[in-house]
Amino acid sequence: MWTEKYRPATLDDIVNQKEIVERLKSFVQARNIPHCIFAGPPGTGKTTAALCLAHDLYGEGYREYLMELNASDERGINVVRETVKTFARTRSIGEVAFKILILDEADNMTDDAQQALRRTMERYTETARFILIANYSGKIIEPIQSRCAPFRFTYLPREDMVNRVRHICKEEKLKIMEDGIDAILEVSEGDLRRTINILQAAASIGKPIDAETVYSVIGRANPYDVREMLKLAINGDFIGSRNKLRELILKYGLAGSDIIKQVHLEIFRLNIPEKWKVKLADVVGEIDFRLIQGSSEEIQLSALLAKLSEAGYDIKRGF
Amino acid sequence: MKLATISKEDFNLYSPWTDKYKPRTISEVVGNKEAKEKIIEWVREWDRKIPKKRALFIYGPPGVGKTAAVEALANDSNMEFIESNASDYRTAEAVKKVAGRASEHATLFGKKRLILFDELDGITGSADHGGVRVITEIVKETRCPLMLIANNAYEPRFSTLRNYCVLIEFKKPSKSDILKYLRKICLGEGMEVEEEALSFIVERTGGDVRSAINDLQALAQGKKQLTYQDVSWLAGRDRKEVIFYVLRSILYARDSTGAKMAVNAADIDPDMLFEWIYENVPYHLKDSKELATAMDALSRADIYRGRVRSTQNWTLIRYFLDLMTAGVAASWSKRSPGWVPFRFPGRIRYLSSEKADRAMLSAIGMKIRRRCHISSVQAVKEVIPYLRIIFENNPEMAAGIAKWLDLDEDMINYLNK
Repeated sequence: MWTEKYRPATLDDIVNQKEIVERLKSFVQARNIPHCIFAGPPGTGKTTAALCLAHDLYGEGYREYLMELNASDERGINVVRETVKTFARTRSIGEVAFKILILDEADNMTDDAQQALRRTMERYTETARFILIANYSGKIIEPIQSRCAPFRFTYLPREDMVNRVRHICKEEKLKIMEDGIDAILEVSEGDLRRTINILQAAASIGKPIDAETVYSVIGRANPYDVREMLKLAINGDFIGSRNKLRELILKYGLAGSDIIKQVHLEIFRLNIPEKWKVKLADVVGEIDFRLIQGSSEEIQLSALLAKLSEAGYDIKRGF
Repeated sequence: MKLATISKEDFNLYSPWTDKYKPRTISEVVGNKEAKEKIIEWVREWDRKIPKKRALFIYGPPGVGKTAAVEALANDSNMEFIESNASDYRTAEAVKKVAGRASEHATLFGKKRLILFDELDGITGSADHGGVRVITEIVKETRCPLMLIANNAYEPRFSTLRNYCVLIEFKKPSKSDILKYLRKICLGEGMEVEEEALSFIVERTGGDVRSAINDLQALAQGKKQLTYQDVSWLAGRDRKEVIFYVLRSILYARDSTGAKMAVNAADIDPDMLFEWIYENVPYHLKDSKELATAMDALSRADIYRGRVRSTQNWTLIRYFLDLMTAGVAASWSKRSPGWVPFRFPGRIRYLSSEKADRAMLSAIGMKIRRRCHISSVQAVKEVIPYLRIIFENNPEMAAGIAKWLDLDEDMINYLNK
């Protein structure tokens, strides 16, 4: 996978997040790091920075001093009590006195697990340093935050994204059109990992990459595109749109909040009278609020689809 | 009031089997041999003279063939058949207007006439004011045979009326009689049904033939075979009332009380009942405004459920129940869309049918996770969709990736699909 092939190996290779990288380099020089929180949107280099830091600190054999856990796969309190503890308390044998534990998607950890983690972090500081990676640092409990140095990762500037895409195309001997690059950047929303995944899928088709290729890849890669579902609802096929919704939630595992975010975006792209867009945004907002209060995402989103069907009926009759 | 006719449309594919397999002659009516003979005898009496008691009052539990017997009889003896049931207004005036006149005159051409007041229990105090009194008057004077049907003839309000009627009780037919009838239907539908499955349906409907037929249709329509396994999931879940009837009485409830009562009748977990309602609402409510209103009621019901969970305050559950029953019933005009089979909650079905798929996806997700520093959940969402495209278009690139990720053959086949 190109996301791995072109992942920077050392801190020097990272062209972005300059201030963060500078500070990480100073840790390497000092042969010491604090516990850290890397927070920021997906695909902005958090995991890469952590891996590069470890690489620079321990050299090529860095994997021996590193443990990677992903909280959304191993989020229970038992993981913290057993796996993490076992790793943290055994002393490192190299010239660096501690090992590094990367805890990805830490904002998905249960509160219990976070509480357990807090003690572990304190007790084994001598032998282990933690890097917590999260989209939102706010979901990490206060006591942990106060024990960590915070680093905020920001979206990559467009220019850097373009350079990265061009670099990969050159290495892979790909022909890419201007509009192809534009299209990729438009849909990847500043997420470099997604950018590269789209690029590789587009390249697999074997033609010069233009906007059309990119959009066809996106179309097929995103069965969880909500547009189809919205269309069915607006055209009065509520049952069809509910089935689609079911697929998104149950088959593709989309979260209700993701779906409603996309629905909100799409409302303004629909070919309906302007005043309806605003009305519908209001309806979406109400359902978004209910999602938080209710207990079932599908029920709330279905109610939204029924509202859209109703609106579609009115719009058709010229209201 | 309406003239009952049997139209060709009744025989189309989606008509209720209770109609499609309605007895054409009274001898076909399940069980109740004695009662049927009495009815036939009583109608014959009219050929000789007007009997002392001019009306038959047929009573018995729901679904045992009371109406079916009367209709079949009218058919047998080629009588003009006039029927009024609970769907008609039955105020004193309304009853008088049609039945009154019909009962006073003999028909032209000497064709005999039979008048039926069905579902007498459904005559309500206020809306059908004076209905029972006028019916009593008509019974006293009628010049053609008149029949009354109710579940319970011994209600106090029928006490006067009863004096002028011959009472005939319909009882629950025996299990073997009902089984025989269901077998006939299976034959007609060209279905093979396990005896055990039929037996199960009959037992749980407790002698209610109509319920048994409806259940059979709901479970078997469109299938060539019905096994015990297909029906056994109903076991234990809703002994008191068949879920389909609970649903029907909620969706088509005339008032809030009726809709709410249905929940008590259902020996079923409220969450599960919610799923049934949520699944079936759009198949019955065809008007988009009504559907939106009903779905809004369910959405608000769900909010109360959320509040119950977050506050652990279980008294709030009553609002959840109100909104999912009365809230839905009140949101539409109840124009029946014709017979629509009730459907098993799709969400639950979906979850089990997609199980294998999801297991495969997460297995591949784990492989990706080991290599790509992302969670398996993320891998499923963000990497696998692109892998599918690569596998479809570029076998060479795909082979490289498969090796690098250490995918097994099943996984590769799955991605190639």
